[in-house]
Amino acid sequence: MTDRRRISGPSVGTAPPIFSSTIVGAEKAQLKRPVRTRKPSELRKIFLKTGVTPSASGSAYLELEFPSPSTPSSQKKTFLSPSSTLKLTCTIHGPKPLPRSSPYNPSLLLSTTIKFSPFATRYRRGYIRDTIERDLSAHLETALRGVIIGDRWPKCGVDVVVTVLEGEEDRWCGDELGGGSDGVGGVGGWGSMGVLAGAVTVASAALVDAGIDCVDLVTGGVAAVVGRSRSLGGKAQQGDDEDESFVVLDPSPPEHAEIGAACVVAYLAERDEITELWSKGDAGVPAEELVDQAVAAAKATRNVLVEAILETAKLKFPDAVLSTGKSGGDIDMTG
Amino acid sequence: MASAASQPLSFPPEIFAALTPTPFLLAHLNPSNPKTPSLRANGRKASQFRTPTINTNSLTHCSGSAVVRLGDTAVVCGVRGEILLAKDIPNAPHVELPDEEGDAISNNNDDDDDDVTEITSLNLLVPNIELATGCSPAHLPGNPPSTLAQSLSQRLLSLLNTTRLIRASDLRIMYRPPTTSDDDDDTPPPLQVVAYWTLYIDILMISLDGNPFDSAWGAILSALQNTILPKAWWDPDLEILLCSDRVSEGKKLKLRGSPVASTFVVFEPGREKGVQEQRTWILADPDSFEEGLCRESVTVVVDYVEGVGRVRRIEKGGGVVVGRDELGYMTKLALGRWSQWDVVLQEEME
Repeated sequence: MTDRRRISGPSVGTAPPIFSSTIVGAEKAQLKRPVRTRKPSELRKIFLKTGVTPSASGSAYLELEFPSPSTPSSQKKTFLSPSSTLKLTCTIHGPKPLPRSSPYNPSLLLSTTIKFSPFATRYRRGYIRDTIERDLSAHLETALRGVIIGDRWPKCGVDVVVTVLEGEEDRWCGDELGGGSDGVGGVGGWGSMGVLAGAVTVASAALVDAGIDCVDLVTGGVAAVVGRSRSLGGKAQQGDDEDESFVVLDPSPPEHAEIGAACVVAYLAERDEITELWSKGDAGVPAEELVDQAVAAAKATRNVLVEAILETAKLKFPDAVLSTGKSGGDIDMTG
Repeated sequence: MASAASQPLSFPPEIFAALTPTPFLLAHLNPSNPKTPSLRANGRKASQFRTPTINTNSLTHCSGSAVVRLGDTAVVCGVRGEILLAKDIPNAPHVELPDEEGDAISNNNDDDDDDVTEITSLNLLVPNIELATGCSPAHLPGNPPSTLAQSLSQRLLSLLNTTRLIRASDLRIMYRPPTTSDDDDDTPPPLQVVAYWTLYIDILMISLDGNPFDSAWGAILSALQNTILPKAWWDPDLEILLCSDRVSEGKKLKLRGSPVASTFVVFEPGREKGVQEQRTWILADPDSFEEGLCRESVTVVVDYVEGVGRVRRIEKGGGVVVGRDELGYMTKLALGRWSQWDVVLQEEME
């Protein structure tokens, strides 16, 4: 059934282009795989800004640093992007009164939506919400529900809309045919974990921008158990893999040939609470360490969030922050 | 009591705007003090547009992309090429191909060849605008595309086709079959179209504060101007169509001109009960507040062809105020607006 409300293109369907460089031998292609240059405990740089959509009551934009800043995308050499990044916008509408017909609700009714744009991933996505998007929306809802003080808005609703302009890839483009990063028959779907962590952080910033009361700032963090790339050692055998695997923070799936397990948390640093935990794959013994590392990633993200919110506050309430800024300066002097 | 008396009975402007929008805008356009200039509630003159800003090629997975801002309206447009194989097309249209390579090049400079039917019958251009991104409280996700979104998509498609912006020759992927041993002629077999590029033009409203059409069209134009399609060829051994991933081998689209859209609304305060005012105002580049108050709207699309301003399209609807003189006035403003867009578009093309 075609979507009659949108323009749908040729009726026989179209195929995404196949690049000749992706059909050469897998071993040769492995050399081009992007390599993680950060330390395992280092996150990609995060750009976070609030107030991008003035017509919404709260909004924020989050972008992860593109791994190779030396070549901006305007001067890119190849159509195949080796690594992936994340670009998210979030808008918040409300709190607003629910329609009269709806039943009484003693606390704020939260509805969350995560929508991928058609150009978010390597293959074009449709406009109709798919199961991954519904799944991510449900995860985001649980992450935020534990933070918002809902009792303060009875009979009200709030809409949280996250639009993924560019999403993390599940695997490297060279693995599409070869099945690396569990592309064929494996667990897969690693990219959506990074998207969820970003969505939690960006929604948190937008919640503050909208002035909705929260118990704490929630941030998202990801960690993954990865194996060392086989192309590096070349002789890595099946048995060695378990010893060789280690935990990295903020993984970029294209950089890893093997991802064993990944974990996302939405974490409240002040209260030391987790509102959402989502783990995939077989972590084995280091499962607990995996959660701890995801929490560490969320803690590191919090610094960026706090800074972005301070900036927002300075714009919104110039007088109030000026005084705290002075006292902060004093503390610095004495300390 | 004393403190209450010292404060004059007054509300902030936002309250007036929400309670009595029409008199509020009228009071700005027609101030009681003749020394105050006549300005709109947003501080612009009636004929003043918002300055566009463009940022191109920031999306990784697109052949071309642009982010356009007009004041508080922000639009992202991404162009993606996908392949439509000629053998899949039922009832393929007959295409008159140039015989020789040399001819093909000279034909590109020729604007007279009619290739619109080829593009429209194959649906090679697929523009879709998505408003349900939470860009304004009126457009929330979870519903099918609103009437506004549907009509905008159709208007954009129609404008793409009637301005003949994109050449069919840029979208064709050609293949010359090898000479068979049977015919001994020196003439090689003719070129044939083996596939077409289909351009998916997806437009996302990030923030909406009026005038979605102008901003969306500007984003499409800028994205198309910066679109590079990969070099593609038919591989007879594998029997698939392959592309080169090198940008340097790709091909830019050669667009026919750069038409620019300018939207105006007509403010008729006399339509409201109790407002004694017979004059009307033409407001250029309306914001959301003004769009809500005005009924009649006009979109003028103009382009400069060899230094001469040409009207490419006029759309008008909703009222009876605009006549011949007003249309002339709007066209003049639209031509001025063309230069504003042209400056920013040219900057991004380098």
